[in-house]
Amino acid sequence: MIDVEQIRKSFNGRRALDGFTLHVGAGELFGLVGPNGAGKTTLMKTLSTLLPIDSGTAQIGGLSVTTHAREVKRLIGYLPDQPGVYQDMSVREFLEFFADAFQLTGARNRAAVGRALERSGLVERSCDAVEQLSFGMKQRLVLAKTLLHDPKVLLLDEPATGLDPIARIELREQLKRLQAEGITILISSHILSDLEDICTQIALIGEGRNATDAEGHSVIQVRAPQTRVRIYEIELLGGTVSAVNILNSVAGTRLLESGADRLVVEIAGVDEQVAALLRVLVAGGVDVLRFDHRALGLEERYRLAFQGRRP
Amino acid sequence: MNPMIRKELRQRMRERRGWLLPSLYLLVLGAVVTFAYFLATTDRGQSNVQGATVGVVLFLTLAYSQLALLLLLVPIFSAGSITIEKEQRTLAGLLTSLLTSAQIWWGKFVSSLLFVLLLLVTSLPVLSMAFAFGGIGPWEIFSATMTTVIILGCMSAIGLYCSSAFQRSVHATAVSYATVIAISIVTAIAFFVRLSIYESAHHPTTHGWYDIPLNIRAPMYVNPFFFLTSSFAPPKQLYPAWITCAGVFIALGSLAVVLTLRNLRRRGDW
Repeated sequence: MIDVEQIRKSFNGRRALDGFTLHVGAGELFGLVGPNGAGKTTLMKTLSTLLPIDSGTAQIGGLSVTTHAREVKRLIGYLPDQPGVYQDMSVREFLEFFADAFQLTGARNRAAVGRALERSGLVERSCDAVEQLSFGMKQRLVLAKTLLHDPKVLLLDEPATGLDPIARIELREQLKRLQAEGITILISSHILSDLEDICTQIALIGEGRNATDAEGHSVIQVRAPQTRVRIYEIELLGGTVSAVNILNSVAGTRLLESGADRLVVEIAGVDEQVAALLRVLVAGGVDVLRFDHRALGLEERYRLAFQGRRP
Repeated sequence: MNPMIRKELRQRMRERRGWLLPSLYLLVLGAVVTFAYFLATTDRGQSNVQGATVGVVLFLTLAYSQLALLLLLVPIFSAGSITIEKEQRTLAGLLTSLLTSAQIWWGKFVSSLLFVLLLLVTSLPVLSMAFAFGGIGPWEIFSATMTTVIILGCMSAIGLYCSSAFQRSVHATAVSYATVIAISIVTAIAFFVRLSIYESAHHPTTHGWYDIPLNIRAPMYVNPFFFLTSSFAPPKQLYPAWITCAGVFIALGSLAVVLTLRNLRRRGDW
């Protein structure tokens, strides 16, 4: 549904996107993560037809965002990172204006506005001025506005920024419902736990390019079993220094964290290598209290992918 | 109807300046015309002042002061028009809707011009006073009004261009005012300085407008007050001064439109 191939975009000689590639299938809820300045917002603006690209191709529903911008606009709903509202309009007027702007007239306009009011839970506030709404309500209103014309693809740039925990939960639930309705969603966020909860796949972006995690994946299958790289948490009864020395001498092992009587280690390789490490530690006189496999969460993978690369 | 026009007019009329500015405008205009009336009737200090003379004085005072006031008001309505969408972060929503850049521009232009035209219309009762005294006919009123509308249209287009080029309303408004000052005052100063230099070098002095070399006259064709002055000529004498001014103003306005649309089509660069 979303196909981005070797896309490049520069601002005053600075590359914001530098050959980024992305493929999102129909009906997916796809995440996009990367550090600040990685190119997420530029990518979103490009896909939403707001920014022309320098080279490469970007298509939505098989339509080029540069040559078929108008048709693409019919397909997409774009929620920018800091969406604005007309504070002096009423909630209904705000929705009616954007329904007009999407060429919904007469009964279609009224139906779309009614649906948007229900979706946002603002039916009873429809006559209130937008400025009287809370931040969370405004965010719901803007998302409802984005859905007015029944887009097939949603491009959401940091939609959870500034929301309180309850509003974030509601947003996650709403996005799951929208995905269940068949809408393809590309969402960028810094709140990794949210993405992990709702996304099927997550792409990594860094310095405008496809970034890779420790396993070399540029797209993380959120619920797929992990293979090559495993994280182990080791609890010790003293002897941390000698344990660290041993770990540093074992090939395929990398120390991620070191605390008082606690180590977090990344082990690349087969199960035999894990067993061998434990054997070496015990043989080296280290008292091991616990040796636990820890599932590699998105946060860990993100850290492994971008550690030391933050601008 | 273009949804932008409806939205803009609705928002504009809800603002406090929606009623405050027309009130202030009429108050200032009324005061100026009253002052002109007393000057016209008491300067001569006699009772045999011709009604036609008073009518002409009132009409000219009204036409020039109205133009000056409206030139001061145009940037308020046009220069903040697009920047406000950037400041409140609503421009992305407009540009990703099915509204074209031209529709967005047209909505902004019509609403800012309509408000200024509303002020022009509200001054009609004051104008009718001058009409009642005689000395001026429908042609003078028509040509002066048409000229004022062309000038305001051009200045609105320039204000919108500034609004599309800058990120903040305060910058766009400042540059719009600088443009108003440049074309109204700087051109006049440039003309009179160069004319006096020319006249001191060439004797005898010039007798008429067309005796002045074109390169010295040229800045005045961009001057709105000269443009207005040229509109007082009889219909058959509108060429070349009025026609040239109209051409210059329409060309300037059109250039501003093209540049504004280009800026809007650059879209997400803001």
